[in-house]
Amino acid sequence: MDLGGIYAALLTVVGSPYHLFLLAVAVPIGMFFGAIPGLGGKLGIVLVIPFVFGMDAVAGALFLIAMHSVVHTGGSVPSILFGVPGTGPDAATIVDGLPMTQNGEAGRALGAAFGASGLGGVIGGIFLLALLPLLQPIVLAFSPAEFFLLALFGITLIAMLSGDSLAKGMLVGFFGLMMAFIKLDPQTGIERYTFGQLFLWDGVDIIAAVLGIFALPEMIALGAAGGSMAGESKVAASYGLKGVLRGIGDVFRHWTLSIRTSVIGAFIGMIPGLGGDAASWICYGHAAQSSKTPERFGKGAVEGVIAPETANNSKEGGSLLPTLFFAVPGSSGMAILLGAFVMLGIQPGPALALPQNMDIVFVLIWGLMLANVLAVIMFIAVAPGLGYLSYVRGNLLIPFVLVLAFLGAFLAIRAWENMVLMLAMGVLGYFLKKYHWPRPPFVIGLILGPIAEDSFHKAMALWGPAFLLRPGALVMIGLILLTIGIYVYRLLRHKEAPEWMREDDD
Amino acid sequence: MRKVLLLPLVAVLLASCAQDPGDEGDGNFYDGRTIAYIVATDPGGGYDAYARLIGKFMQKYMPVDNIIIKNTPGAGHLVGANTLHRSRPNGLTIGTFNMGLIYGQLLERAGMAFDLRELEWIGKAAGEPRSIVVSENCAIKTIEDLLATENPVKFGSAGLGSASWSDMMLLADALDLKVEIVPGFEGNEGEMSMMRGEICAIFGSTSSFKNFVDSGYGHLILSVGDRIDGVPNAVDIVTTERGKRLVAIVDALAQLGRVTAAPPGTPPARLEQLRAAYRQALEDPELHAEAERLGLPIKPAFGDDVSALVNAALNQTPESVAMIKTAIDGT
Repeated sequence: MDLGGIYAALLTVVGSPYHLFLLAVAVPIGMFFGAIPGLGGKLGIVLVIPFVFGMDAVAGALFLIAMHSVVHTGGSVPSILFGVPGTGPDAATIVDGLPMTQNGEAGRALGAAFGASGLGGVIGGIFLLALLPLLQPIVLAFSPAEFFLLALFGITLIAMLSGDSLAKGMLVGFFGLMMAFIKLDPQTGIERYTFGQLFLWDGVDIIAAVLGIFALPEMIALGAAGGSMAGESKVAASYGLKGVLRGIGDVFRHWTLSIRTSVIGAFIGMIPGLGGDAASWICYGHAAQSSKTPERFGKGAVEGVIAPETANNSKEGGSLLPTLFFAVPGSSGMAILLGAFVMLGIQPGPALALPQNMDIVFVLIWGLMLANVLAVIMFIAVAPGLGYLSYVRGNLLIPFVLVLAFLGAFLAIRAWENMVLMLAMGVLGYFLKKYHWPRPPFVIGLILGPIAEDSFHKAMALWGPAFLLRPGALVMIGLILLTIGIYVYRLLRHKEAPEWMREDDD
Repeated sequence: MRKVLLLPLVAVLLASCAQDPGDEGDGNFYDGRTIAYIVATDPGGGYDAYARLIGKFMQKYMPVDNIIIKNTPGAGHLVGANTLHRSRPNGLTIGTFNMGLIYGQLLERAGMAFDLRELEWIGKAAGEPRSIVVSENCAIKTIEDLLATENPVKFGSAGLGSASWSDMMLLADALDLKVEIVPGFEGNEGEMSMMRGEICAIFGSTSSFKNFVDSGYGHLILSVGDRIDGVPNAVDIVTTERGKRLVAIVDALAQLGRVTAAPPGTPPARLEQLRAAYRQALEDPELHAEAERLGLPIKPAFGDDVSALVNAALNQTPESVAMIKTAIDGT
């Protein structure tokens, strides 16, 4: 590894006031696009490309990477405060972030989200550096066979997120899987349950589903109960810088989890085709699964905020790898970034790994890490103010959140029908909440169902049923059996349904 | 104080509402107005990039206030195309989408809400040969290998019914290729799969393989349409009459890249202004320079020429349609 080159690249970034200025401008722009539901990082990059046009390659690339890498840091804010995800991968943060706000811990939740995002981003960058020599074999080890089993593995995590009854969790999870079948069949081109509606051809939109399942029922409950988001809390109001710092401290208190989920996130990001939604939910499931006190999940466990937020920032580091060195973007956001790099005169591909081209790679990695750190510092300043929002009276807050929710649903696929879909999902979400059925399994089914279906078909077409015997597949099968084994062991140890599965969030 | 500030604002708002966007034949119609440029995909990607580039330069040649991009993705460009078709034909809406929809119309697939011939064509920005790229992992090295192979060769393609899948089916039929098509590879997934040694080849638009080929992962073995140096062309390979006609259809569609159209019934005077601005934009050397930096090939055609191309592609004899149907649907 070229340590001199890495150090020289750091000097290129921090030694130039111009580059530091660009970082300082790019970070708030990126966070803004993440924080407004429906805008998202992709649109952000597309809109700033004209401004980057005249810059030299290093400055332009630095600006874009800085902006892109902090989108999900901003995206956690509306998830935590209102249950409205800023971006798809920030949806998993709602499950515990929103209850923390309701418990009067909005500041702590925001601090944990920022700290986790920052740490995830930095670890993602380190991961990128560490894996440079091993890149090709690892990325190429993942075929549709492994994708299918990885999706199955994610689906088994439903058991961990089922609350007081495994049967309820599985039913909700399978309902989510069924909803995932609403779309144009990818293998036959036949319409499945689309009722002639073109907007359903591409499947049930995840943003609309998450908004309906989480945000709407919470607003209904808040409207019925009166008071403010944090009004139900029995603890004394805690906001201000202290809560935020406590949240950041939580990230380091749970340092093994933070590092694990950062690495898992970077790993999933590195494999093109799985996507950020899968990364955050799988990491959320992992946090619940590996916790000694899983009963706290869904009710305001800070680990439930840390896990998805580390993952959705670290995956950006991971997805830079295939984007830069294979010219195969790891995500749709990276696809746009790839186009912008080409425009700036950086030609992604294996040639970028040649020593004379590595300078720009190191600059990008530093840009990614510094932007993540800068985002945390900038947000510490405004986070206490954001925390106050959780004490705003419901009748002032609800209209504002509903506007955000409808805006988010509309902008996600730019179709008004999506708002109707969100309302329908809201009815489902309301009853799930009312009768204490767990909601996360639904989203997991909806997100992982299409990945499982698509990769199963491909794996069957490529190898037939023998795909299950590939070495990678066998490892994944082992992991799935282990997960189920742990679950069964816990059940047996507690004899009856363990008390951690009881849910009483009202 | 506030009221004083508010009054002129209200007056301006009222005045802007009062302007009738329907006034006909006025040379200054576009003065200070905003044009919506519909893109049938999400932000990012080729269609979006072309529209943003062309929109920016059209603005230079029209007195409009702004040309805004309106992304209406969904259902393989159908949502965007249908939205464009039913937009108010007042000259303030134009749009771009994938002309693979021609297959949908010829085969009478679900979801097409109109006849593509009804649209007012403004121009097209590109059109490039389609080609077969084979992975270096693959035993097939040349088109001769592919034609002579005994075992079916695995080709990746996008989802069933998509334009690229339909192209693939027509080519396989035209050249009588022994292929096994594995559908469902969107975007760059097919390239990853070739690198893993799963699928052997892909048939698609040549510029989309540029990174892959430049990186040394694969090479082109056949092109359809314009000739590429050192790559055999399908017209030299195809032997049967049926094959020649199918290749011609693939070529015709490949020529119709990145079209821009207006809704049916757009007033002729405004359509002329749109066409003129589009032509000036695409003849602007600055646009060419910018397109080159963005990696967007430019091969423009304008107005009636594009209408003629579209009509030629759609006005197939019933027997040609039957031929396309057997090639694509196998029935």
